Amino acid sequence: MTDKSAEQSRDFYRQDVKVGVYVCHCGGNISDIIDVEDVARDLSDYPGVSVSRNYIFMCSSTGQGLVEEDIRTKGINRVVIAACSPALHELTFRGTLERAGLNPYLYEHVNIREQGSWVHKSNKKAATEKSKKLIRAAVEKICRQNPLEAIRVNAARSIAVIGGGVAGMSAALSLGRQGFNVYLIEKENRLGGKLNSLWKAYPSEEDGEKTLEELEKDISSLNNINIYLESEVKKIDGYVGNFSVEIVKKGSPEKIKVGALVITTGYVHYIPFEGEYAYKTTKKVVTLPDFIEMLKDDEKNGSLKNVKSVAFIHCVGSRQNPSLDKPQKDEKVNDYCSRTCCTSALFRIKQLLEKYPDKKIFDFYRDIRTYGLQHESYYEELSKKGVLFFRYPEDTRPQVEVKGDKLEVKSKDILTWNEEVSVEVDMVVLLTGVMPADISVIVDDLKLPIGSDRFILEAHPKLRPVEVPNLGIYIGGTAQAPMDLLEAAYGGKAAASKASMLLSKGEISLDPFVASVNPELCDGCEKCIGECLYPGAIVMENGKAKVIPALCKGCGACAAVCHTRAINVAGYSLEQIDAMVEAISKE
Amino acid sequence: MQAEKMETDVFILGTGIAGMQAALDVADAGKNVVMVDKSPSIGGKMISLSKVFPTLDCASCITTPRMASVSHHKKITTFTYSEVRFIRKEAGRFRINFVKKPRYVIEEKCISCGKCEDICPVLIKDEFEQNLGAKKAISIPFTNAIPQYPVLDMEHCIACGACARVCPAECIDFSQKEREYELTASAVILSTGFEITPMNAKEEYGGGKFKNVISPLQMERLLAPHGPFSGVVRPSDGKIPDSIAFVQCAGSRDKSIGVPYCSRICCMYSIKQAQLLSGALPLADMTIYYMDIRAFGKGYEQFYQNAKAMGINFVKAKVGKIEELESGNLRLHIERQEGESLPEEVEHDMVVLSQGIRPTPEENFRNINGISRNEYGFIHLPSVPTFPNATGIDGIFAAGAAVGPKDIVDAVQDAGSAAIDALNYIKRTSR
Repeated sequence: MTDKSAEQSRDFYRQDVKVGVYVCHCGGNISDIIDVEDVARDLSDYPGVSVSRNYIFMCSSTGQGLVEEDIRTKGINRVVIAACSPALHELTFRGTLERAGLNPYLYEHVNIREQGSWVHKSNKKAATEKSKKLIRAAVEKICRQNPLEAIRVNAARSIAVIGGGVAGMSAALSLGRQGFNVYLIEKENRLGGKLNSLWKAYPSEEDGEKTLEELEKDISSLNNINIYLESEVKKIDGYVGNFSVEIVKKGSPEKIKVGALVITTGYVHYIPFEGEYAYKTTKKVVTLPDFIEMLKDDEKNGSLKNVKSVAFIHCVGSRQNPSLDKPQKDEKVNDYCSRTCCTSALFRIKQLLEKYPDKKIFDFYRDIRTYGLQHESYYEELSKKGVLFFRYPEDTRPQVEVKGDKLEVKSKDILTWNEEVSVEVDMVVLLTGVMPADISVIVDDLKLPIGSDRFILEAHPKLRPVEVPNLGIYIGGTAQAPMDLLEAAYGGKAAASKASMLLSKGEISLDPFVASVNPELCDGCEKCIGECLYPGAIVMENGKAKVIPALCKGCGACAAVCHTRAINVAGYSLEQIDAMVEAISKE
Repeated sequence: MQAEKMETDVFILGTGIAGMQAALDVADAGKNVVMVDKSPSIGGKMISLSKVFPTLDCASCITTPRMASVSHHKKITTFTYSEVRFIRKEAGRFRINFVKKPRYVIEEKCISCGKCEDICPVLIKDEFEQNLGAKKAISIPFTNAIPQYPVLDMEHCIACGACARVCPAECIDFSQKEREYELTASAVILSTGFEITPMNAKEEYGGGKFKNVISPLQMERLLAPHGPFSGVVRPSDGKIPDSIAFVQCAGSRDKSIGVPYCSRICCMYSIKQAQLLSGALPLADMTIYYMDIRAFGKGYEQFYQNAKAMGINFVKAKVGKIEELESGNLRLHIERQEGESLPEEVEHDMVVLSQGIRPTPEENFRNINGISRNEYGFIHLPSVPTFPNATGIDGIFAAGAAVGPKDIVDAVQDAGSAAIDALNYIKRTSR
C-alpha cells in the first residue's frame, strides 16, 4: 500500500467515525506513574478522536456514566478505554456500550496498568509515552472496526457421558435431574466402573456394591437417561451444541447427536512388569487390587488365615524416577503421585488387623499421604497396633526375593540411620498406582490436550479443572487426575454443572472473533488447514478454504500463514493490525 | 426498623473461591443468586495469596477476574460486610435474615475516589496485610477489593470530620445504621470456608510472641507483588533474611491442639513459598522441617521434586521448641528422623509456622436450623459419596473448606457439584 492510498483509506474510515478515548487513573495505580492528563491531552488531537478524557476510576458507575453520556449526547460511536487488563473489565465496558445503545464490539481496551504503570515504575516518562502509542494504535484499530454480532449456535439438549463409573454416574444423574437427555456409555456389562471392585470403601466402610445399587436405582428412576452397556465410542465429530457420537453397542453401531460431552473414562491400575518386586515370579507378590479381592474372599473363606506376615510396598508405579524405574511403552515413567494408595493401603491393613490382630505387618513407604479428614486416624491407629513402618530413600527401591516358602524384603530405612533392614514375610502387597484409561479414539477425534502424566489436561489446573479449551467438552473424575471415590463424584458433578450451564438456554453464544476466508483471494494451498489447531475449523469447499465459525477460536494462526492475505479474523483484521503497527512505529 | 424483603433462587453464604464458583455456575444456568459475606470484599482467602501452587499463577490475577465476573453478573447480588442472623426452612423454602453492617459510607453515592482514605489522620492495623502494615481508619479494604467502597472503623475514628469534608460525593454518613434484610430463597449453599489454627496453638514454637516467627498468610503478603513492604523482610528489624525455616504440621496432625487431621494444603504452600523465596532472595537458604511431604494433587509431586532440584532443603525432623535470640534470630531444637537421629540445635533468621486449617466457629452454624457438624467440627455430609454435597437438611448444600480442608482446585470442583445439586433441588421442589 502506498502512503497516499493508505492516507485515503484512513480518511474513508474516518468520515463517520467519532472515537471517545478514556484514560483511567485506577486510583493511583496508573496515574502515580503515567501522566494521564498528558496522555488524554495528546490523544484529543489525534485524528478521529472526538472526546478524550481522564478519570479516577473508569470502571466505577460514574466512570461508565461518562462514556454512556458521551455516546448519547456527543455521538461517540467508537470507544477506547485505557485502563487495567481487559481480562478484568472488557465485559464491563461492553455492557456500558450496550446500555448506551452502541454495538458492544465497537470498543477497544488498552492495558496501561499491567503493561504500563506496573512494569515501568522506574521510568515515568517512557511509561507515559508508551501509553500514548498503545492508545493511538487502539484508535487506529477501532476506526477500522465494524459492528460484530455474537455467533449463535443452536444446541441439542442432550449430553453424552462417556464412562459409567462413579464420576460418570454422578454426572448422568445430575444432568438427568436437570431434564437433559443423557446417554451414559459404559464399555462393561454393568455400570459402576471401579466401584464394582472396591468392596468396603474408606472412609465410610460402606460396601461399594451398596453405593452402586443406590446410584443405579436413582439413575433407573429417570427415563431420560439412556444407558449403553457393553458399548464403545468409535468416532466423535461436530462441535459445541452439535456433536455426533458413533457408538458400537454390543457389536451394533449407533449414532447419537448431543450438545455436549462429559468424559469420565476413569483409570486403570498400574500393572508391574514381570520381575518388578518379584511380581509374577511368585504368586505371593500381589497388587493392591488383588489384595482387596483376597480380603473380600477372606471374609467368607478365611483364606488369609495362614498368612502370618505381610509387607506392603508403597509407590509402585507412582512417583517414579527414570533412572530407577522401567518406563511405560511411551518411554515415560509415572512421575506423579497416585493420591489414593497410601490411605487405601492403611485402611486395608486396618481391616486385616481387625480380623487378625496377630499378623505381622511391615510397611515400606516414602511419605505417608493420608490427607483426608479421617485418613490420618488410620495411620495413627496402625502405628499403635505395632505395624512397623520403614521409610525407604527416594533414590533406592526395596528388593523382594523369593526365599523358599518365604519372601525376603530388603530396604534401606531412613528412620534408623539408613540401615539396611530385612524382613521375611509370607506375602508382599505392591501398592500400585493409577494410570488413565486408554481413550485414544476420543482424544484423537476431539484433539484433547493431554498432560505429561497422560491424564486429560484441564483448561486451568486451579480454576477450571473440569473444562478443556474446547467448548462443550467437560472432564470429570480420574480421567483428569488420580482421585478417590468421593472426589471423583465431585468431579463428575462439577462437569455436569458446566454442561448444564452451557445447554440451559438452548442456544450457545460465542465470541464473534473468528476467521473468515475471502474466496477471491484464496488459492487453495491448504496451508491454513495444516496450521489450524482446532480440528474441522477450516475445511476445503470447491477448492477454497472455508471457516466453520463455531469451531474457530480466532487464534489467527491461519491468517498468519496465508500468503495471499485471504484470511482475516473479525476484530483483528490484517488491515487493523497493519494500522496498529504503523501507529506504534511512527515517531 | 423494617427489614427489606427480597427473593432469590439460591442463597450462598461465603464469597471465597468455592462460593464464587458455585454462584457463577448457578447464575450461568439462569437462576438468581444472593451472596452474603462478613468481609467487606468478596474473594475470600484466595485473593490475599501471593501465587498459587503448582502453577505459580499470581493469585490476584486469577482471582480478580472471578470476583469481577461475580460482581458484574446480572443474576448475582452480593452483600459484603454483612452477617447472617438465621436461616430457617419454612414451608419448603428458606428464610434468611441478615444485616448489613454500616460502612458509614453511602454506597449509592460513593465513587471510590479514595480521598477520604488519603486525608484520614488515623492509622490502624491492616488485617488484609495480616497486620504487617497499617491502613487508615477509613479505607478501601485492599487494592482490588470488590466492592471498592471504603469502610470506616468507628472504634478508631476520632470524628475529626476530615473525610466528610473532602468527599466529593458527600457520601460519608456518621449516623449510618445497620440494614436488615429478609430473604426468601429456594435453596442454600454454605461455602463458609475455614479458619487457620492459631499461631500460639503450640506455645513452644513462640508463634504470636517472637517477632520473626510468622504465619504462612503473613509470608503470602510478604511475597505478594503489592504486599506491605514491597519485598521480603523480617518484621523485627526489616533485615532481609538469609535463612528461612518452615515448620510443617505446626497446626495439624496433632491431637493435643485439637487438630488430629492433616490440613492438606500446608506441604504445598510451604513448598510454593520456598520456591518463591528462592526467586525473591536468591542467596537465602530455605529449610522445610517435615514429617511427610504430602504432595498428592495433580502436578504436586513434580512441583515438590522441582523444589528439591532448586536446592530447597527438606529435613525430616520434629521441631521440639523454638527460642528467640537477642539478634532476633530463632534457635530451633530439632530431632532429625533421618541419618544420625540426634537432637540438634539450628539457627534461622525467620521461621514460618505452617499452620493448619480448622473449622469456622460454631456460632456460624448455630442459627442454621438442623446443620450438624462432624467430629472435627466441619459441616457433616450424611450422604457421601452418592450425594456428596447434601447436608442434613434437604435443600442446603455445602461446598469448599466448610466441609473439611481443601485446596483451591478441590474447592472449585466441589462448588460446581453443589451448584448442580441446588439447581436440581429447585427443579424437584418447584414441580
